[in-house]
Amino acid sequence: MLFGYPLEVWTTQLFIGLVNGCILILVAQGLSIVFGLMGIINFAHGIFYMLGAYVGWLTVQLTGNFWLSLLVAPAVVGGVGVFVEIGVLRRIYGTKNANFAGVLVTYGLAIMIPDVVRMIFGRPGKPFAVPKLLTGSLFTLGATEIGGYRVFIIAITAALLPLLWLLLNRTNLGMVIRAGTSDNTMVQLLGINVARTWTTTYALGAALAAFAGVITAPLVAVAPEMGGLILIECFIVTVVGGMGSFVGPIAGGLLIGEVLALTGMVYDVFADVVIYLLMAVVLLVRPRGLFGQEGVSEE
Amino acid sequence: MTGRALPVIARLFERWGLWVAAALLLAAPLVADYTPFYLALLTEVLVFGLFALAYDILLGHTGVLSLGHSAFVGVSAYVTGLLLVNLRSIPVELAVLAGALGGLVTALLVGPLALRKRGVYFAMLTLALSQIFYFIALMWKPTGGTDGLGNLPRLFLSEVFGGFRLSKRPVTLYYAIAATVFLAMLVVRRIHRSPFGRVMRATKANERRAQACGYDTRRVKLVAFSLSGLFSGLAGALLTVTLEFVPIENTHWTMSGTVLIMTLFGGTGTLLGPFVGSAVFVWMRDFLSKKLEYWEVFVGASFVLIVLFLPEGIVGTLRRLVWMGGLERAPHAPQSLGVPQPSWSTPRSPARLGGVTAPSPLDAPGDLAKPSPSTAGGNNADVPLLESRGLTMRFGGLTAVDGVDFQVRRGELRAVIGPNGAGKTTFFNMLTGVLPPTAGRILFKGQDITALPPHAVSRLGMARSYQVTNIFADLTVLENLRIAVQSRVTTFSLWRNADALREVTERAERMLALLGLGAKRDFPAGALSHGEQRYLEIGIALATEPEFLLLDEPTAGMSPEETKQTADFIRTIAGRVTIVLVEHDMEVVMGVSDRITVLNYGKVLAEGSPAEIRENPDVRRVYLRD
Repeated sequence: MLFGYPLEVWTTQLFIGLVNGCILILVAQGLSIVFGLMGIINFAHGIFYMLGAYVGWLTVQLTGNFWLSLLVAPAVVGGVGVFVEIGVLRRIYGTKNANFAGVLVTYGLAIMIPDVVRMIFGRPGKPFAVPKLLTGSLFTLGATEIGGYRVFIIAITAALLPLLWLLLNRTNLGMVIRAGTSDNTMVQLLGINVARTWTTTYALGAALAAFAGVITAPLVAVAPEMGGLILIECFIVTVVGGMGSFVGPIAGGLLIGEVLALTGMVYDVFADVVIYLLMAVVLLVRPRGLFGQEGVSEE
Repeated sequence: MTGRALPVIARLFERWGLWVAAALLLAAPLVADYTPFYLALLTEVLVFGLFALAYDILLGHTGVLSLGHSAFVGVSAYVTGLLLVNLRSIPVELAVLAGALGGLVTALLVGPLALRKRGVYFAMLTLALSQIFYFIALMWKPTGGTDGLGNLPRLFLSEVFGGFRLSKRPVTLYYAIAATVFLAMLVVRRIHRSPFGRVMRATKANERRAQACGYDTRRVKLVAFSLSGLFSGLAGALLTVTLEFVPIENTHWTMSGTVLIMTLFGGTGTLLGPFVGSAVFVWMRDFLSKKLEYWEVFVGASFVLIVLFLPEGIVGTLRRLVWMGGLERAPHAPQSLGVPQPSWSTPRSPARLGGVTAPSPLDAPGDLAKPSPSTAGGNNADVPLLESRGLTMRFGGLTAVDGVDFQVRRGELRAVIGPNGAGKTTFFNMLTGVLPPTAGRILFKGQDITALPPHAVSRLGMARSYQVTNIFADLTVLENLRIAVQSRVTTFSLWRNADALREVTERAERMLALLGLGAKRDFPAGALSHGEQRYLEIGIALATEPEFLLLDEPTAGMSPEETKQTADFIRTIAGRVTIVLVEHDMEVVMGVSDRITVLNYGKVLAEGSPAEIRENPDVRRVYLRD
C-alpha cells in the first residue's frame, strides 16, 4: 500500500502513464520542432494527429493491413502538411506579428478541418481494431493483463526516437533545422534554401503526429475531436519540457503522461487541473521549461 | 466623384457613427421583425459585441493576445447567476455589477502571473490559468457542473432604470441591455482617447521604446488587462441575464477562441468592429448552421481568409478603402506639390538650428533639463552626474564589458569610441537598465541605479537613442514625440482627453519644429526616410526632457550632408543637456566632444581631450590595426 492505494494499482497506472507518455512525445516532438524553427504555435498540429488516425482507418478498411497504414498515414498527412505550409503559412512569414498570425491561421484550420472530416466520414467515431498479431495480453503487471499492443507502442516509440535524433543531429537537414532554431536570419544569409527546409520540417512534424494518431487509434475510437484534446496536452508537454529541444518533449511527455495517469487514479477531473497548474508553475519558475534552450523561449 | 464623396462620408461617420448606431439600436425593435426571437438574437449580438470590445482593449489597443478571456466571462456569469439563484430578492442591476467586478477580480488574479511573460508565452499562460477556472466550475457543486447553472428566477427587469418598463419582456430586456452596452461603449471610447489610451497604443507599437520613454509597460498591460476583465465581466453578467442560464461552455477556453474570432472578423482597433464581428458570428451560428450542417468549416475557412487577406477585419478594411479613395485629397501631401524635399534637411536650415533663438522645447518653462554647466549640481557640484564602477558584463564565456570605471560631469559632451565589438552598445544597455550587469555599480546623480528597470532609469532623467532605429513606426510623427513628452506628465489617467493636454501637445510641436519635421507631422513615423527616422529617434529621447542623453551612433547610415547637420544639432543641444555619444565618424567625434573615452575589448584604453586622444599611441595602434 502506498498513499492508500495497493502497489498493483500504482504499477498499472505507471504503465498506462508510460504508454500515454509515448503518444504525447511523438506529437509534441513535431510541435516543438516547428515552434523552435518557425516560432509558430501550431494549433493545427492536433488535426494532423486526427487525420493520421483517419487515413490509417481508411487504409485498414481498404487493404485490411494495419502495418501498411503505419506508412500510408504519415506519408499522406505529411503531404497535407506541405500543402498547409505552402498554401497558408508561407503567406504570413515576414509580416508584422507573424507569430500572432501563425496562431490565428492555424487556429482557424483547427476549427475548420474537424468539420471537413465530419462531412466526409460522419459524426460518430470509427472503431479501429487492434492488429491480430498484437491482440491478447503479453504479461501481467500487478493485477492487470498488459496487452501486447501497448507494449508495441512503447517499443516503436523507443525505436523511432533514436532515428529522429539521428535525423536532427547527423544529417544536413537536421543541422539546418538546429541552426535555424538558434538564428534564422544567419542561416538565410548563408544561402541555404530556408523555404524548403521549413516546408520539410512542417511536413515532418505532421507525419510524426499522424504516426502517433494511427498507433493511438486502436486504443480509442477514431473521432474528429481527438485532435483538439491532444493538442492542449501537447502544449503543456512542450512548455513543461522545453520548446525547441529534443529531450524536452520526451521528459515533458513522460512527466505529463504519468501525472495524468496517477492523478486520474485519485480523481478523473482532478488530473486535468493538475497539468494546467503544472504548466503555470513551470512557466513562472522556469519559463524555458525543464530542458529548453536559453533564449529560444524568452519572449 | 466618389473620390470626393467618400472622405466626406468617412468623416461624417467618424463624427456621428456612434450616434447613428445608437439611433439604429433604439429603432431596431420597431423596424425589424417584431418577434421575440429576433430581439433575443439582437440582444445576444450586443452582449457578445461588448465582450469583443473588451477583448479588443487588449488585442487591438495594447497589442496583447490573450487566450484566457473565457475565465472573465465564465466567472462573472456564475457570480451573477449564483447571486440571482441564491438571493432571490437581489436587484438585477446589483447582480450584474457584482458579475462585472467578478471579471475584474479574476483579471487581477490572472494578470500579475501571466504578465510575467510576453508574446505567445503570455497567451499560453492565460490559456492554462483560465482552464483552472473551467475545472473549478466543473467540479464545484453549486455551479452545476456540465449541466450548467439553471433555475434562474424569471427576470422581468421591471425595476431597471428606475422602474421604466415596457410591456413585453424581450423589449424591456433589449432596451436595458442596449443601453448598458452603449454606455459601456462610450466609456471604452473615452478610455481609448485618454492619455492612458495613448500609452496603450505606444506599448502596442513598440514596447521597448515605451519603456525607454519611462512607461512601466508591465503595469500598463496589467491595467489594460484589468479593464478588459472588467468589461468582459460585464458582458458575462449580461449574458446570464439574457440567457437566464449559465452554460459551462462560457468558461471553456474555446470561448476565448470565439471572442478572438469575433474581434478579428470585425476589425481590431475599431469601436464598431467588435459588434460587426459579433453579428457575423451569431449569424453564422444561428442561420448558417441551419443551412449548412457543417458550418464550422465556413467559420474556420473565413477566419483563415480574414487573417491572411483582411488583417484589418471588416470595419478596418472598409475604413481604409474609404480613406484611400480620397487619398489625393488628404491634408498632407507636400511631396506632390513639386517642392523637392529629399530629406529633412531642407526645411531645417543650419541658421535656425544653430541660432540661440530657435524655439526649443528645452527652453520651455517647467522643463527638467535646464541646468547649464555653470549652475549645475548646486550643492553637489563635485559628484559626477553619471558614474560606473567596475562595470562588467559577461555573456557566457565572452566578457563584453570588463570592469569599466567611467565618470561624466554635468554639462559635458563625452564621446565613447572603439572598434566594433568593443562593448559600447552593451555599456549603454547597462547604463539604461536594459541589461543587468554581471558586476559593478552605476550611480546617477549620486543614486545607485544598477538594479533599476529601463522605465525607472528614464524617469530619473536619462534618455537614449538607439543604434538601430527604434521608433513607434505605426504612430504619427507628432504622436511619437507627444507620447515621450506625456511620460513626464501622466500615465494612468483614464478619463481625460489626451488631446486636451495642451502643454504636452505644444511641447511636442516645438520639438517637431526643432527637428524640422513639421511638414511630416501626421505621417506614420515608419514612412519617414532613414535620415528623418534617425532624427525622430533623437527627438523622442529629447522629448522626455532628460538631464542626461545617450546617443548610440546617431549618424549611422546618414549621408555626409545629414551627418554634418546632425553634428551641428548635437552641438546645439549640448549646452543644455549632458551627452554621451557613441560614434564611428571621427570627424563628428573630434568636432563635438569635450572628452573622449576609448573602449577596446570591453576595457577603457584611454581617456582624454580630443587632442590627447589623437596623439595617444595606444589608440593609434588600435585604430591603425583596424
